[in-house]
Amino acid sequence: MLLALRGVDKRFGDTLALSDITVELEGRAVGLLGPNGAGKTTLMRILLGLSSPSRGDVEVLGIDVRARPHEARARLGYAAEGPQRIPGLTGVESVAYAAELCGLGRRPALLRAHELLDLVNLGDARDRRVETYSTGMHQRVKVAMALAHDPALLLLDEPTTGLDPDSRDELLELLVSLRDGGGPAILLSTHLLHDVERTCDRCMILEGGALRFAGSLGELRRPNPRHYDVRIDGDEGARGRFVDTLVATGATVERGRRAGVLDVHLVAPDPRVLWSAAETSGVRLWHLEPRAPSLEEAFLATISAEARAGTGTSTGTGAPP
Amino acid sequence: MKDRVIEVGYRRLPPIQPRRGHAARTIARWALTLAWRKRATKISLAACAMIAMAHALGIVVVVLLQAAGTFGDSTPIAAMSLNVDRIVGNTQEVLSSFVSAQTYFTVIALAVIGGGFIAEDRRYGAFDLYFARALRRRDYLMGKLLAAGAVPALTIALPFVLLWLLAVGIAPSTLRLSLLWLFVPGLIGALVTSVVLTVTLLGVSALGERGRTIGVVFVFGWLLLSAVGESLAGNGLAAAGYLSPARDVATMIEALLDAGPASAAAAALELRGSVNPSALLSTLSLFGFASLGLAALVGRLRREVGG
Repeated sequence: MLLALRGVDKRFGDTLALSDITVELEGRAVGLLGPNGAGKTTLMRILLGLSSPSRGDVEVLGIDVRARPHEARARLGYAAEGPQRIPGLTGVESVAYAAELCGLGRRPALLRAHELLDLVNLGDARDRRVETYSTGMHQRVKVAMALAHDPALLLLDEPTTGLDPDSRDELLELLVSLRDGGGPAILLSTHLLHDVERTCDRCMILEGGALRFAGSLGELRRPNPRHYDVRIDGDEGARGRFVDTLVATGATVERGRRAGVLDVHLVAPDPRVLWSAAETSGVRLWHLEPRAPSLEEAFLATISAEARAGTGTSTGTGAPP
Repeated sequence: MKDRVIEVGYRRLPPIQPRRGHAARTIARWALTLAWRKRATKISLAACAMIAMAHALGIVVVVLLQAAGTFGDSTPIAAMSLNVDRIVGNTQEVLSSFVSAQTYFTVIALAVIGGGFIAEDRRYGAFDLYFARALRRRDYLMGKLLAAGAVPALTIALPFVLLWLLAVGIAPSTLRLSLLWLFVPGLIGALVTSVVLTVTLLGVSALGERGRTIGVVFVFGWLLLSAVGESLAGNGLAAAGYLSPARDVATMIEALLDAGPASAAAAALELRGSVNPSALLSTLSLFGFASLGLAALVGRLRREVGG
């Protein structure tokens, strides 16, 4: 089991940052999605044992984090959000230091640092001081530091924040290669849906400290039996009658994402309404397919309208808002 | 033909079994490595080395003069050496003067080297980098204490041992016996001074976020307290003398080494300042400063690092 939380609450004074989170997750790469302020970083810190939950049990990799936080952290690698660094150290020294802190000797730590800097594509900048690094280089050196001791689970908090598209692409590619290449499992906290879609096989969605969804991306994007992509053939009048007939049943009909395709939401999960409407209006059904929502649509459907209005979640490939 | 590594990729590691104290030693080593890269570190340590060398010279002069007197020579030097204790002082006085004087320079060296030990970690969010690993608060604390403690150990304790060895080494056998007993109390005094300076500096460092500012505050705080304590004690408020850390150090080390009254040379060069009435209270006062520092340090760590 990658992680298991049972009835986890976290309070900061009067503010309830996490509310009754109960989830068990397996997988090689899990996305932790949520709008800003959803409680993602708080949850990460609880998983690391850096913050204690006000209530509930937390297990990471089968280890009770509250009882044995150090044992858990020995198997976790964490790249925090923000420009954390130890000033004065070069890139290779930063990673070697991280490795030594985890128990590696000086020479093995240095060797590991060089390997990891090559892996995160910072080989050319390894001897530069970290304070001269760009945001993207900082993110990559933090990932290298998190990987220094070969953790079983890599926790990344907004790792692509502030990266240009090329750097972001490289970092996501690295995560995919770790996921598929026998590297550590990944827990990726982000509000960029594209990052999760590209790298993760499962996800958790948090909103206002509450868990809205936990499962595979396939489950999240499971086709809705009341939602169809429909393509019809017929003259203008017949097409109009078809739409009117459906609307009369309470369905909503909109133009679909593709040309000539209608986006139909039925009242009940019964597609026979579509055949019946086609028959009465005199159109031919060319294409009928239960609609699988995009990750963005599924995400927006999962979180509340209030959160939707204020969400900082982005599907773009550029820098986040 | 040499093997060339074209690409390594991600390599799994065998399970790591950290040795006891490894993390603390690593933190200390890297902190000192970083400090050594600053020019100010080298300059401040060079100043400390010069103070030690000056006192080494003093030891040589004093011991040789005492030796001449011991042999009952009829040279003018021997005649002078009959009153050598009163004129140039004795080894105890030179050693205590060394610890007292070196404390000032060590305060500066510590401020330069260790001012940012905790503060800069706070400023740059390095706590997350440390404590996201299997690192305990005590590992971090021990690492920083080791790093900061290395400075007074290098500038006060080690030179004290070397000066004592020098004195014992060049003293005639009749004088040597009287010098042997100085080692333990002197070293205790040097170590207490080192610990107090170390813990106090880290405590101050835990209060701020900029190493340079912390360094300035530490040095000025030390000087200000010392001056105020000295001044009030000089004006009849004897108890205020315990507020002066410099006076406390001098009181403690002179009592431990039994330095006796100031010699003419020490008085002329103002090498020995006034001391407090009670060495015990001075030592307790020093531990009070150290306790405040430790409380600030531990409090900061508890606030910054939960879990």
